[in-house]
Amino acid sequence: MTMMLLALVVFAFTYLLIITEWINKMLAALMGGFLVVLFGILPQSAAFAAIDWNVIFLLIGMMLVMSVLKETGIFQFIAIKTAKLAKAQPLRIMIYMFVITAVISAFLDNVTTVMILIPIVLLIANQLKISPIPFIINMAIASNIGGTATMIGDPPNILIGSATELSFMDFIFNLAPIIVINLIVSVGVLHIIYRRGIHVSSESRARLMEFKEDNLIKDKKLLYRSLVIVFIMLVAFTLHDVIHIEPASVAMTAGILLLILHNRKKVDHVLMHDVDWATIFFFMGLFMIVESLKQTGVIDLIAKQIVQLSQHDLKTTSIVLLWFSGIFSAIIDNVPFVTTMIPLLKTIGTYFPDTSINPLWWSLSLGACLGGNGTLIGASANIVSVGIANRNGFHISFKEFTKLGMLHMFLSLVISNVYILIRYF
Amino acid sequence: MLLANYLDAKAVLFVDHAANKEEIYHQMVSRLHGSADFRISTTELLKLILARDAESSTAYPTGIAIPHIRIEGIDDTLVSVCMLKDPLDYDGIDVTVIVLMITEKTASRLYLNLVSAFIQLSKDTLAMQELKRQKDAHQLISAIKRLGITIKASLHISDIMNCTPITIGPDKTLKELSDVLSNHGLTYLPVVDDEGKYLGEVDILNLLKVGVPDYLMMLDHLSFLDSYEPLENLLEQEDRMLVADIMRTDQEFLSPDSSIIEAAHEMIQGNKRYYSVVQNNVLAGVISATDIFTKVVRA
Repeated sequence: MTMMLLALVVFAFTYLLIITEWINKMLAALMGGFLVVLFGILPQSAAFAAIDWNVIFLLIGMMLVMSVLKETGIFQFIAIKTAKLAKAQPLRIMIYMFVITAVISAFLDNVTTVMILIPIVLLIANQLKISPIPFIINMAIASNIGGTATMIGDPPNILIGSATELSFMDFIFNLAPIIVINLIVSVGVLHIIYRRGIHVSSESRARLMEFKEDNLIKDKKLLYRSLVIVFIMLVAFTLHDVIHIEPASVAMTAGILLLILHNRKKVDHVLMHDVDWATIFFFMGLFMIVESLKQTGVIDLIAKQIVQLSQHDLKTTSIVLLWFSGIFSAIIDNVPFVTTMIPLLKTIGTYFPDTSINPLWWSLSLGACLGGNGTLIGASANIVSVGIANRNGFHISFKEFTKLGMLHMFLSLVISNVYILIRYF
Repeated sequence: MLLANYLDAKAVLFVDHAANKEEIYHQMVSRLHGSADFRISTTELLKLILARDAESSTAYPTGIAIPHIRIEGIDDTLVSVCMLKDPLDYDGIDVTVIVLMITEKTASRLYLNLVSAFIQLSKDTLAMQELKRQKDAHQLISAIKRLGITIKASLHISDIMNCTPITIGPDKTLKELSDVLSNHGLTYLPVVDDEGKYLGEVDILNLLKVGVPDYLMMLDHLSFLDSYEPLENLLEQEDRMLVADIMRTDQEFLSPDSSIIEAAHEMIQGNKRYYSVVQNNVLAGVISATDIFTKVVRA
């Protein structure tokens, strides 16, 4: 009982630090993780064993893959090609970019996606002499929506995928359809909001059409080889059920191969700039803290309460979970939330021995990922995008972002709600 | 070891007036030529010294010039001192003391220490007045001996830095900044307030950065752009933005008594060619990689 309380105190304290951002969130999570050990809530071995290496290495592997893929210039190429395909017409560029951002972030980390695409959009907007602000807000939103579609698109999905038996293809079958519908609706919304058009002179338009995106692909051989490896990696992900190799090992192998292909000798730059150690350690700390809740019985206790409250009704539980996750993730980081929810849902699952609790996992994923759009601080991609805009003299207020984000979040959650009801019940 | 012990009365001259450097150097070389086993003639020596002088100035702001050459096989360091009554113009510096040194190619340490000792001496105004009062070589050497200057002291930044650097105020516009840089052919300026207090530094890259927006810096490659005019923004901002907006204030400066190796170390590590030299928050000078190169390495 004392240990239970102590574990709760460490957990609450860490959460408070993460929400208030009083110290760096990685430091908060790691400190919480080691306080658990220092207070004797968990032996060190148990705390370390709680770290889900499948998640850690999948994250690192994808970061390595990205570091090389980024170097090939392919993403800038795609972005500029897209703008040109849109014939340099702002509304069309916005819609195309929205879709491209969603598609890229389905396979890549959302933050990386916006960090690559937003500078290009700023440049395009500068050349067209229009405000980049609507583009930036919408692209951040698109990255959160797109990231929900696959197991590797967003940290909540990586966490869920690793903790459950759900395969890469399960994510595609269950989440991709709803995300496609969601994107179509969002594009419709964009069209309605910006249909009055943003005027651009033909001179500015011509300037954009002058971009020589072919110059961006410096090393064609590297690009082709990289794309082949990435393709094989994706195939290996989809064949998870058949080949029984975990995504982490697939991603790490692909990452290492790409690094060898790109530069056999030098890894310092990649380790310093491309591997986001703060995120890695943040996850590690969270795993340790959540394990203490599990071992001391806090999770069991809460799970029992939830099941009693919902009167063994999976349908209601799913819908409540969707909206609760959505609203909660709009306010705070969804990673600690999902890390805590995973053991909770697993325990709840034991109360439903005859039925699959898969709808709960999809509700958690949809809520946690799409909820990130709710406010400016709901997802890292939002914060990073607005940060880039601010540094370039375009100030996006919390209100300005949240107005649009809230609209998208609400629409997404309503669509998800309907989808879950129709598909699973 | 006392500096005075390195001087030979035979090689000390007093000259009232000289038309040019060559005339004096000729006299100095002649005095030295007998003291060692030179394999070349005085004319050739003179040519070498003048050639070295033409490469970069050998004069220091305190009014001392230290022309020198290194030649192979003399296995000694020879010093000749000339006290001038009428100053000789060395690229804007009025020189009244000339110290000529001829040294073995490899003997750089002793040479640098000698230079350092002479520079230290030249900064001591009272001592210099005392020396100028002396009438002959023996008196001069005993006067130097009395001053007790040793040649163990190593060279400091203050010995080779530019003590009167051009500076700029924080409230100047970028237009004014770019005029100063352009008019003086500079790439670096310390920023100081009216009292000479060091505030920061600004270089030509800080200025260019105004024209290259942050989002362009985030792109890995810019090869697709060939019509972008990055400096448009700079020209627009030139009259509105101030030096204070773009200067670096990270307090990366050196102190006058830092050693030369420390300065070189900082420059290499920080990838910076210029450092402000600051003492008690007040700007004392500017040291550049070129100073170290020409006044120490190539000295």
